[in-house]
Amino acid sequence: MIVAQGTGKAGRQKVPNATKRLRLGLSIMLALLLVVGGKLFLVQGLDVGGMAEAALDNRLRPTVLPAERGSIVDENGTVLANSVIRYNITVDQSVNTKTESFKRLETVNGKEELVTVSRDQGISELADVLGMDSQDVRKAVTGERTYYVVAKDLKPDVEDRVANLQIPGIFSEGTSKRVYPNGSVAGGIVGFLENGTTGQAGLEQTQDEILRGTPGKRLFEIGADGLRIPVGVDQLTPAQDGKDVKLTLNSDIQYFAQQAIQSQSDKLSAEWGVIIVSDVKTGNIIAMADTNAPDPNDPGKVAAKDRGVRSVTAAYEPGSVEKMITASAVIEEGKSNPLDTFVIPPSYVVDGQQFDDSFSHGTEKRTLAGILGWSMNTGTVMAGQRLTKEQRHDWLQKFGIGEAPDIGLPAEAKGILTPADQWDGRQEYTVLFGQGVSQSTLQTVRAYQSIANGGVMLQPRLIDSYISPDGTEEKVPAQPARKIVSKETAKQVRDILESAVTEGQIKEAAIDGYRVGAKTGTSQSPCDDGTAGFCGYTASMVGMAPMDDPRFIVEVVLQRPKGSIYGITNGPVFRSVMSQVLRTYNVPPSTGEPARLPQYAK
Amino acid sequence: MSTAAVKNLTLPAGRRVQEESPRKARTPLSLVRSMPKKRRAPFVVLCFGMLAVALMAVLVLNISVSTAQYQLVKLRSEQTALTKQNQDLTQQVQNFEAPQNLAAKASELGMVASTGKGQIDLSTLTVSGKAKPAVKGDTAGAVIAAPAVPGQLNVVPPASSSDPLESRKPADTGKPADSKKSGDSKKAKAPAAAAKQAAVLNGGTIPAPEQKAPGQ
Repeated sequence: MIVAQGTGKAGRQKVPNATKRLRLGLSIMLALLLVVGGKLFLVQGLDVGGMAEAALDNRLRPTVLPAERGSIVDENGTVLANSVIRYNITVDQSVNTKTESFKRLETVNGKEELVTVSRDQGISELADVLGMDSQDVRKAVTGERTYYVVAKDLKPDVEDRVANLQIPGIFSEGTSKRVYPNGSVAGGIVGFLENGTTGQAGLEQTQDEILRGTPGKRLFEIGADGLRIPVGVDQLTPAQDGKDVKLTLNSDIQYFAQQAIQSQSDKLSAEWGVIIVSDVKTGNIIAMADTNAPDPNDPGKVAAKDRGVRSVTAAYEPGSVEKMITASAVIEEGKSNPLDTFVIPPSYVVDGQQFDDSFSHGTEKRTLAGILGWSMNTGTVMAGQRLTKEQRHDWLQKFGIGEAPDIGLPAEAKGILTPADQWDGRQEYTVLFGQGVSQSTLQTVRAYQSIANGGVMLQPRLIDSYISPDGTEEKVPAQPARKIVSKETAKQVRDILESAVTEGQIKEAAIDGYRVGAKTGTSQSPCDDGTAGFCGYTASMVGMAPMDDPRFIVEVVLQRPKGSIYGITNGPVFRSVMSQVLRTYNVPPSTGEPARLPQYAK
Repeated sequence: MSTAAVKNLTLPAGRRVQEESPRKARTPLSLVRSMPKKRRAPFVVLCFGMLAVALMAVLVLNISVSTAQYQLVKLRSEQTALTKQNQDLTQQVQNFEAPQNLAAKASELGMVASTGKGQIDLSTLTVSGKAKPAVKGDTAGAVIAAPAVPGQLNVVPPASSSDPLESRKPADTGKPADSKKSGDSKKAKAPAAAAKQAAVLNGGTIPAPEQKAPGQ
């Protein structure tokens, strides 16, 4: 008890002192706590120095998920253009430079062992795999930059070998590379990309938006060990792949036509040539061949002027193929018929303008069929002059001259059709046989298509459908059809064209087993440099088969072949392409009697 | 404040105070059972046990998550490898299927394109057209160069390599495909050179007389 009291007294005496110390200690503690808490609040709550953000940034890895560019395929699904994975090898120079040696697992004598590899050895191994100079690689991986591309567009097997070297700081990133498995077959139509991303020519250019798709994004946290932190941020915006573009082309026919026109053009040293194959019933373009077509894998190999599609970009004076339009017009207007008789002098003069034929003849009695069958300018002017100037203009316009077809290729020419009141004294007659008016080959084919299809013009189609990544196919609707001439007129004009093959001058267009109708065209070609006069000729042949129910149109055009123009014929080329098409599409041989309209009037 | 502080600070003082109060009004003593003392040990064990279990659980969870992560990485790389392989093979097939490569392969095997075809109509039993046998050694005409897909050029030898007249061409040291290609581009520039090549390509055909078009 006493002890207890004593202690109590002693305690009481010491109280002020202890309280003081206690308060002091407590306040120090509180102050420290405040400092620590304040700092904690600053760091965690307010993040004044941006530390948390910096740390998060350090862990966060945003990656762009590239959208796969859609393919371009032909009517049978043959791939004309698609994208494949290629790899870029990149380096984090700061990591690589400070790593003097590293360990990696290697199989030594059948056992897996950790082997220490020096940086120098790593660099020389990398150079070996990449096929680069060792010094170049060293230069590329040394420095402070955290991102630097060492090598580009590597095939997967090379990337695999690089990955197996396990060199610190060396990474690979997938990129997409455009590949054109069919090369120059339809190369001009397909087009190519600039820098591997943006379409620069052909369909790659015009369909860029559709093919491209929308890239996605992924944001995730990654630890120092290079593994994703499972509980961290992970945001995923999936990429939306581009749509595939399906064409109406048949790559086999396209190849055949390209080979045929290339041979013809080489043989006659022409400047260029084109072949169009078109389906009469649908307006689908089956082939559109060009000479010296570019290989989109390496478009720089051909001259810039050869990289387009001349079937649609090149407008030229079509020549005698236009006589079909004149004949259709006079028949439809009721001003003539295929057996109408014309007395044709050796040389025809009207309004002081003289017209001659490509062959000399005396005064002849011809039918309208004979005029076309022998491609007589004199007779065409005589028949066509029954139409007024406005009618001539309107009929050309009706047949689509001066109106560009829209098939989705860049720089589609619409040709030149000057208004009737601006025609000069000679032009008002020359337009009847295809001079003084210009059009692209596709426009000529479209005009013939309407005659082949019973007078109904269908707009040509090149893009058949768009195929979404999920496989749904979205057909491109056909543009509205247009009635140009009556069924009867179309039939009469078709008979005239067939008679040109059976009775007239175009016998070489005949194909065994099939009834063929055709028309040739030879026109003087104005000089490209704008100087007066003409520089060579444009020789063409357009025809359809089988005449009992026309299915296909083939047109062959050769620009400025060398040598005498009268010795040049596109007949064999037309024949081989047309018979190839007929066989490919299993068209049964013709039935019925071929039309044989008399060429001379009795 | 001071008494309270002292009470807390010094135990003897506190005890004395406690002892003082019963003297004033004595409360009956009762036995206080010290149950908690006995129960404390199992409770601590339980706590530690739970701690251990929780730690184990976290560990197991962590291990499984990272194992799954490793597995994911492994499967991803497997998927990538397969995709790569698939693409490589698809590309090879596409390259073989390219019409110009197919044509080159066919002519290499000695195949010739037929020219004249006949048709037999089974319903009417008529034969139309005159089929002609293909002639061996017929020139196929111009050669469309093989697609220049990087890394695939060597799959099919280009047709031009089998052309016996190829050797006549001067300074033909590059790859056949390249030489053909460069020939084509040269042609666009120089018509004279084109005529020369045309003569080679169209065996038997007399080339059209060379003439320079005015304005060229």
